[in-house]
Amino acid sequence: MRGPTTIAPVPGRTDEMIINMGPQHPATHGVLKVVIGLDGERITRAVPHIGFLHRNHEKIEEARTYVQIISYTDRMDYVSGLQNELPFILAVEDLLGVEVPKRAQYIRVIFFELFRIASHLVWLGTGMLDLGAITPFLYTFRDREKILEITEKTAGARMLPNYFTFGGVRRDVHPDFFKDVAAFLDFFETRLPDYYALVLDSPVFQARAVGVGVLSKERAIARGASGPVIRASGVAYDVRKAEPYDAYDELEFEIPTRPEGDVYARFWVRFREMEESVKIIRQALEKVPKTGPYKGKVPPRVKPKPGARYRAVEIARGHLGTYVVSDGSEYPHRIKHRSPSFANLQLIPDLFVGARFADAIAILSSLDPVFGEVDR
Amino acid sequence: MSRMPLPTERLVQPKLVGYDPTRPKPWLERIAYALFFSALWVMVVLAYGVVPTLFRHFGWMKTPLGFAVFAAIEAVLAFLLAAVVALILIVVLRKYLGKVQERVGPMHYGPAGVFQTVFDALKLLGKEDFAPKRVDWLIFRLAPAIVFVSAFLLMVAIPVAPGWLIADLDVGLLYIVAVSTLGAYGVVLGGLSQGNKWGLLGAFRAGAQLVSYEVPLAIALLSVGVFAGSLRFTDIVEHQYGLWHVVPLFLSFIVYLVASIAELKATPFDLPEAESEIVAGYNTEYSGMSFAFFFLAEFVELFLLPGFMVLLFFGGWHGPLFGLDPQSFAAGLLQSLYFLIKVAVWVWIFLWIRATLPRFRDDQLMDLAWKGLLPLSLVGLLVAALLRMFLEVV
Repeated sequence: MRGPTTIAPVPGRTDEMIINMGPQHPATHGVLKVVIGLDGERITRAVPHIGFLHRNHEKIEEARTYVQIISYTDRMDYVSGLQNELPFILAVEDLLGVEVPKRAQYIRVIFFELFRIASHLVWLGTGMLDLGAITPFLYTFRDREKILEITEKTAGARMLPNYFTFGGVRRDVHPDFFKDVAAFLDFFETRLPDYYALVLDSPVFQARAVGVGVLSKERAIARGASGPVIRASGVAYDVRKAEPYDAYDELEFEIPTRPEGDVYARFWVRFREMEESVKIIRQALEKVPKTGPYKGKVPPRVKPKPGARYRAVEIARGHLGTYVVSDGSEYPHRIKHRSPSFANLQLIPDLFVGARFADAIAILSSLDPVFGEVDR
Repeated sequence: MSRMPLPTERLVQPKLVGYDPTRPKPWLERIAYALFFSALWVMVVLAYGVVPTLFRHFGWMKTPLGFAVFAAIEAVLAFLLAAVVALILIVVLRKYLGKVQERVGPMHYGPAGVFQTVFDALKLLGKEDFAPKRVDWLIFRLAPAIVFVSAFLLMVAIPVAPGWLIADLDVGLLYIVAVSTLGAYGVVLGGLSQGNKWGLLGAFRAGAQLVSYEVPLAIALLSVGVFAGSLRFTDIVEHQYGLWHVVPLFLSFIVYLVASIAELKATPFDLPEAESEIVAGYNTEYSGMSFAFFFLAEFVELFLLPGFMVLLFFGGWHGPLFGLDPQSFAAGLLQSLYFLIKVAVWVWIFLWIRATLPRFRDDQLMDLAWKGLLPLSLVGLLVAALLRMFLEVV
């Protein structure tokens, strides 16, 4: 990644201050660097620089067997780790022609939505931290901890469980799993009203968020935005509805959208998504077969037939797709990840310019980028 | 396929160092806080009660030498009081934030972590006080002193009981407006002198914020002065026998409350040091004791601004005296205790606000100051003047 490390000052213009926001800035959610031109508190120019967390995932994955790659996909969007495994697994399952048992599909859905809630909780906590409220951070991380404990009980790991596998899940769920999840949902539903009161209904938050960082529908589509960002701009695009995977076509849920496209809308959409996730998990808990195989028949050496496959899922940040090219060997010929935060991050110059500096922070936290996935 | 054993429970329990939050010792914590509060009270009694009473009683202040000795003793006592206030308030803030956020807060040093600040202060004392190459050295070093001295000087003006004060200023209100504005200079100069762009932004924000909040704050104070007919704190408190000013001057009270939070640079208005926006704002490049002085000043103000609020709107030291002569020493002890309790309640409310709200944006803050608070404070002044006129006619 080579490029200009700074933006050049305009000759003769003395009222513009050029300032590096990041990569060690407290509110850049990791390692984003934005070179910003400031006129007082008003942003005149903004150039994002990425690549500080580049780990060469796609190349490394070419030299790993299919089973080994799953643990790499976990580490893209580490905040919603488990969700990232799915598009790769779905693509390879298609190439292998594996049938996934119903029980495995529902277990995947339950975990998938639990990790959506966990990821949105991290976003909410850190986003409010960016807006100056310290308390929601501690509340949301405490709630997320319960999800991680449920994951740990079943999968053995917390954030990056490496739990999904070709044909289903790696092992059967813990005997307490369904009870724990139901208990968590009951608990979480008592917490949500507090978050609404602390965040969405707070007049100070509304003053900071309403009408800030407005993203038009056309702009969002043109930039390839996805996830809550595009849904807050009035586009009802959700991979779970558009190309249903696992058991999503058997479950009823809404796609929350809002037409405004401002920071408040993006916060609102994520709040509503947490509610929808609760709804989905409740249905899945009812419908999941209580017995049965948790994994389909998969050959011990995974060697998909030659061909290519692209599969996408709706992770917490949007449309995550994985393109797998197989040459019939144990190693993939090529893997390409299409990550949502990378596309959403392109909106920075659009949304930052003209905003105030404090708004830029709110906009960035409403885009919710995770740099493990932007840089890969 | 063989199954791996399920992790039914954690194999290794997390080791709890120092203190076990599952086994709380609230009584120990409460005793520690009671001791803290008593220490504060003793300091207040010494600085405001015993020493000035002695000097006045024996007439030592009439000679220049006696006055110099008095000033020196009081300076030391006021500094100790400021240190005690800051040490207590910092740990109280951290424990209170812990309580709000469902965690335990500092736990390691002393019973339930009550000596955390002492160790923090020791750590800061031992740290290198580093200054980057491009700072404007003199101003960079002067700024923390200005900030601290302005907070420290404010302590002179507070009366805690009838006759218990260091200097009975007949322009007490003017004095606090003037001296607290000095603190803004320290913040702005500190931000500007460090040659750091975040510091520069912090200084801009601090300058804009502190200047725009001084105006409504000053007018709110003025309306109290108009209503009480005096700028002397003692007279203002005396004027509240029967009815605390918070009732007739409610508008001014609201203005004072909001403006004093802005003056404190606490959460809804903490823009000059908004860590998620401009890193640390005006104190980005400060370390060691220079940083500690900014911190110290902030917490001394967290004690003083509620203190002035209590004096101006909540009857100062008023409280049941159980038949004691208000001028006696025993009554003084009791009345200074009432004053401290009222201040503690207001400090708690300030901390509560700090724990709950997100931050305003800079332009919204200016809007609030100039379009909201300033007209409100002028209405408050009008109300005060009309009430005063009405009372004089009757």
